[in-house]
Amino acid sequence: MLEIKDLRAEIGGKEILKGINLTINPGEIHAVMGPNGAGKSTLSYVLSGRQGYEVTAGSVTYQGQNLLDMDPDVRACSGIFLAFQYPVEIPGVASATFLKTALNAQRKFRGEEELDAIQFLKLVREKTKELGIKDDMLKRAVNVGFSGGEKKRNEVLQMALLEPQLMLLDETDSGLDIDALKVAADGVNRLRSPERSALIITHYQRLLDYIVPDFVHVLADGKIVKSGDKSLALELEEKGYAEISAA
Amino acid sequence: MKSLSALAQSYIERFDTALETLPGQSSRSITDLRKAGLEKFSQQDFPNKRVEEWRYTNLSALTKGAANEDSSGAPALAASSFDADFEIVFIDGIFSENESRLDKLPQGLSLSSLATELGNGAVFSLNDEEDRSLIALNTAFMQDGFCLHVTENTQISGVLGITFKSTGTETHGLHIRNRISLDDGASLTMLERHEGKGSYFSNPVTDISIGNNARLDHYKFQNESVSAFHLALTDVEILQGGIYKNFSFSVGAKISRNELKTVILGSDAESHLDGAYLMRGEQHCDTTTLTEHKVPQNISNQTYKGVLDDRAHGVFQGKIHIAPNAQQVAGDQLSKALLLSDYAGVDCKPELEIYADDVKCSHGATSGELDDDALFYLQARGISESNARKILIEAFLGDVLTSIDNDVVREYFNTQSALWLQNS
Ligand SMILES: Nc1ncnc2c1ncn2[C@@H]1O[C@H](COP(=O)(O)OP(=O)(O)O)[C@@H](O)[C@H]1O
Ligand SMILES: [Mg+2]
Repeated sequence: MLEIKDLRAEIGGKEILKGINLTINPGEIHAVMGPNGAGKSTLSYVLSGRQGYEVTAGSVTYQGQNLLDMDPDVRACSGIFLAFQYPVEIPGVASATFLKTALNAQRKFRGEEELDAIQFLKLVREKTKELGIKDDMLKRAVNVGFSGGEKKRNEVLQMALLEPQLMLLDETDSGLDIDALKVAADGVNRLRSPERSALIITHYQRLLDYIVPDFVHVLADGKIVKSGDKSLALELEEKGYAEISAA
Repeated sequence: MKSLSALAQSYIERFDTALETLPGQSSRSITDLRKAGLEKFSQQDFPNKRVEEWRYTNLSALTKGAANEDSSGAPALAASSFDADFEIVFIDGIFSENESRLDKLPQGLSLSSLATELGNGAVFSLNDEEDRSLIALNTAFMQDGFCLHVTENTQISGVLGITFKSTGTETHGLHIRNRISLDDGASLTMLERHEGKGSYFSNPVTDISIGNNARLDHYKFQNESVSAFHLALTDVEILQGGIYKNFSFSVGAKISRNELKTVILGSDAESHLDGAYLMRGEQHCDTTTLTEHKVPQNISNQTYKGVLDDRAHGVFQGKIHIAPNAQQVAGDQLSKALLLSDYAGVDCKPELEIYADDVKCSHGATSGELDDDALFYLQARGISESNARKILIEAFLGDVLTSIDNDVVREYFNTQSALWLQNS
């Protein structure tokens, strides 16, 4: 599904990713853990195509295609979804309009029929109900005035609607209480299938109690310094990053 | 004597011949009025950049005589139809009976052409003691326009359409003079539209008086040809409890200026001047307002939003003047511009002249680009860059457009704004 080879990237001339190698097969869930400033968000932005990041070496192949050549919207339409660490507030754009526009853009890209307002509303209601998310935020402007928890829930709702192939979650659990954390985990688990994969960036082992990963990687100073199975997350919790990175 | 601009000279040379055909030529008092206008104009010439109020708008492309050189101009947006309940139409500044629909004018509303009124020798007093040369020029050469009157306590329902179309064949400038008076307790909603093709100079001057507790909702759509010059001046007087609401939506002209002056003469009166302008290419759009609070207890506000692409340029100059005795007055002013290109720009000059102490005033002016984070967020959900930009531009314009009270006009402006965005 995703193959990252020797990926190096910089921001404003400063190298942040210093040779990442990571392969994610269909159906797999990978967790990436690491200290602040390690480059986790940078990795998620490079994969989703944000401007300002210059890839200086290496390659990323997604479903057999050169991912780095694709525009961000094409990546999204091809099934890559980034749940933002810091979801963006967009004053003046109603959440419902935004979601419908995004969903229909993706459906159109895949050659599917666009949903009308009624079909869309029905679908959203279904998803909010499944996830136990209040749908009153649909009427509000995108993320404007949302609490931290609401913003993260909104990301999970968008993911549920857009049904991506590759979910990238950047610290979706940070700042969430246990109930919200379960909503986020539930969002991922509901989509989990033999075809879908996920890359879950997190600081804490606790999310991984709910989303059980197949692999855990430690990212430090722009490199994956250690990989293992889910027990690595527990080990990290015990010993801290410093010891693991040094080992 | 300093030398006059080429265009001013040609006006002066042409005046005597023009007098023979301009309406009201048989009336002594009208001829004197025109002569006085010409005299004032020839002392001042067209405004140039040395004049403080014209620092940001350069008319030399007009005054060097270029107005008719480029005849290729197309309308900024394709000519649009608006389903007004009744409509008066002017072609190249002249009343067109054929195109107008005045048969169903309601009781209490009278509407006539200025040329007819002048031809009948109507007594005409003018309110331009301030010596604004564009008004003086208009007085000298005014050829037509409308005279609109609503009688006491008459509430006109529906929307009155006032449409100015230009074919680009009139080479001498369109000196349109309009007069609107609403008697006490009267109300009216009107949409003034300007559209055209080719190259021309349009100079509409409008005097408005709002009686006690009267209300005028004055909408304006400026969709002149992108080779045209549009220099409009509107003066408004508002009496006690009167409300004047102006919303100007501008997409047209090569160089345009919408100059609005409201004088609040009564308590509980309100002046609302709002607008949106969408400009691209080399267009220049100037909004200049002056709001004078002469007496206590009334309010004024202004909100303008501009979207500027390519090398387009916006100007917002807004002055709120509060007289010494005008206590308990609130005046708010806000100008926001969205720059879509590195070469687009805006000049803002908010000014508060406050001589009373118990007042509440605010002003703010911002300009900025589209938010990159928001753009990326939309794209990361599958929305193309061009659509994401449109969504964010619409969001920027959203609050000022939704503030429009009249449903039909709001819908119309929303449609025009969407059309403008489609062309980008
Ligand atoms: N826009 C930026 N400009 C310059 N440096 C940046 C920018 N964004 C992130 N960085 C730097 O890149 C490094 C990695 O940041 P980030 O990927 O956000 O780390 P993480 O998500 O692992 O905490 C940090 O040193 C951070 O300061
Ligand atoms: Mg981060």
